[in-house]
Amino acid sequence: MNLKSEASRTYLSFLWWILEPVMTMSVFYVVFGVLLNRRTDDFIAFLLVGLVIWQWFSNTISHGMSAIQHNSRLILSVDIPKEIFPVIEILMDVVKFGLVLILLLGFLWLFGFPVNPQYLALPALLGIQFMLICAITLLIAATVPFFPDVKFLVTVLLQLTFFLSGIFYDPSSIPIEYQPYFFMNPMALLIESYRLVLLEAQSPDWARLAIVAGASFFGVLVSLGLLKKLHYAYPRVLQP
Amino acid sequence: MKSPGQRRKLISLDRAGLVYRRRTGFLRTSRFEALTDVSLELHEGESLGIVGRNGSGKSTLMKILAGILRPSRGCVVNHGCSVALLTLQLGFDPNLSGRQNILMSGMLLGFRLKYVKSFMDLIIEFSGLGSAIDNPLHTYSTGMKARLGFSVAFHLDPDVLLVDEVFGVGDANFKQKSQKVMEEKVKSDKTIVMVSHSLPLLQRLCDRILWIERGQTHRSGDPGEILPAYREHLQRSNGAA
Repeated sequence: MNLKSEASRTYLSFLWWILEPVMTMSVFYVVFGVLLNRRTDDFIAFLLVGLVIWQWFSNTISHGMSAIQHNSRLILSVDIPKEIFPVIEILMDVVKFGLVLILLLGFLWLFGFPVNPQYLALPALLGIQFMLICAITLLIAATVPFFPDVKFLVTVLLQLTFFLSGIFYDPSSIPIEYQPYFFMNPMALLIESYRLVLLEAQSPDWARLAIVAGASFFGVLVSLGLLKKLHYAYPRVLQP
Repeated sequence: MKSPGQRRKLISLDRAGLVYRRRTGFLRTSRFEALTDVSLELHEGESLGIVGRNGSGKSTLMKILAGILRPSRGCVVNHGCSVALLTLQLGFDPNLSGRQNILMSGMLLGFRLKYVKSFMDLIIEFSGLGSAIDNPLHTYSTGMKARLGFSVAFHLDPDVLLVDEVFGVGDANFKQKSQKVMEEKVKSDKTIVMVSHSLPLLQRLCDRILWIERGQTHRSGDPGEILPAYREHLQRSNGAA
């Protein structure tokens, strides 16, 4: 049922899925590559990997957080599992990210970062990030109908995390004593791992990634349980 | 012709009440009792009309019957039947064509894709939209959208149909057509619960009326008895105001 609605909704904005990230990347290219004159191929690739990975995370959360709230009309008219709404948003963003990822890999290949054996780690990284995104998006989507104020907080936190995730700078440039704290941010860890795999053909830090995976999995379970438990509370708070 | 007593029970409500919490200001909420005490039993083949003034809890009651809300007090038992709250233009997406919207809406009302597809031609014909059905919805006029919404909702058949004031869409011609379909449904032994402010309509279609007032069952029984009393009550309170 929802795949159908997905599919029918998709091809309308199909072109924008690719155009939008390409344009964002161009902005960063202009600012960092041209204006700040750091136009080395390495830096552009470094920046793009960070940006693409970050955008998947940040877009899904911003799209998914109001999913339940925006579908109040539906929730008030049919008895429907509420997790459907954030899940639709998550899946739509997976499709969009998939397209951008293919573009990114093509770009890396053109710019002299060939496919390497470490690519085998890619599915695991993507899986972990997907679980992390699911956990956070579901949890926020479950809370927003009760506390709409959370949305503002999330926007600010996303911005903060953007700067703390080492997207346009190299984490190794921050003081060594802060580095353990820096990598407690799962997005910083994930972006670093993707770069190791894609750009340097090295193996990521699996022990840390396993912790992120476990915590995310637990987070998904908690959020789904919460959504189930509050099933009948949503139509009540969403009264027009 | 119908004797509810012998029929199978479909849904029963026992002293149901529901409290909403509303945000009223900075960090402040207030309790609002939409429904305090309503009991009712719905039998197969019955058509029940619900009357009451604005804000008396009719729509909340319908949502409880549809299983969307669960009462915070009392209990509701669904004896194993599919219930659908008839919602016009449910899940309509302005960027999709009329045909795609029929599918979406039908599936959201809880029907399988195949089932909705089998009704497609009938729905399109009834809506009278003709070739416009393949245009995107945002090109439709308000009336066209309403007609399409009505056609979708009325061609799909749940066990219990809940109708919350949806008549009077479209032009005079379509209005007549839609009321005729409704009458046919009632006659064909469908179980229907309807909320309406049109008393003649209820008189014609229902075989039992439930009158709720401030979230409580005020009276219930035969339309011939309740409706005149309700009309009188309305006039009296209008006179007082």
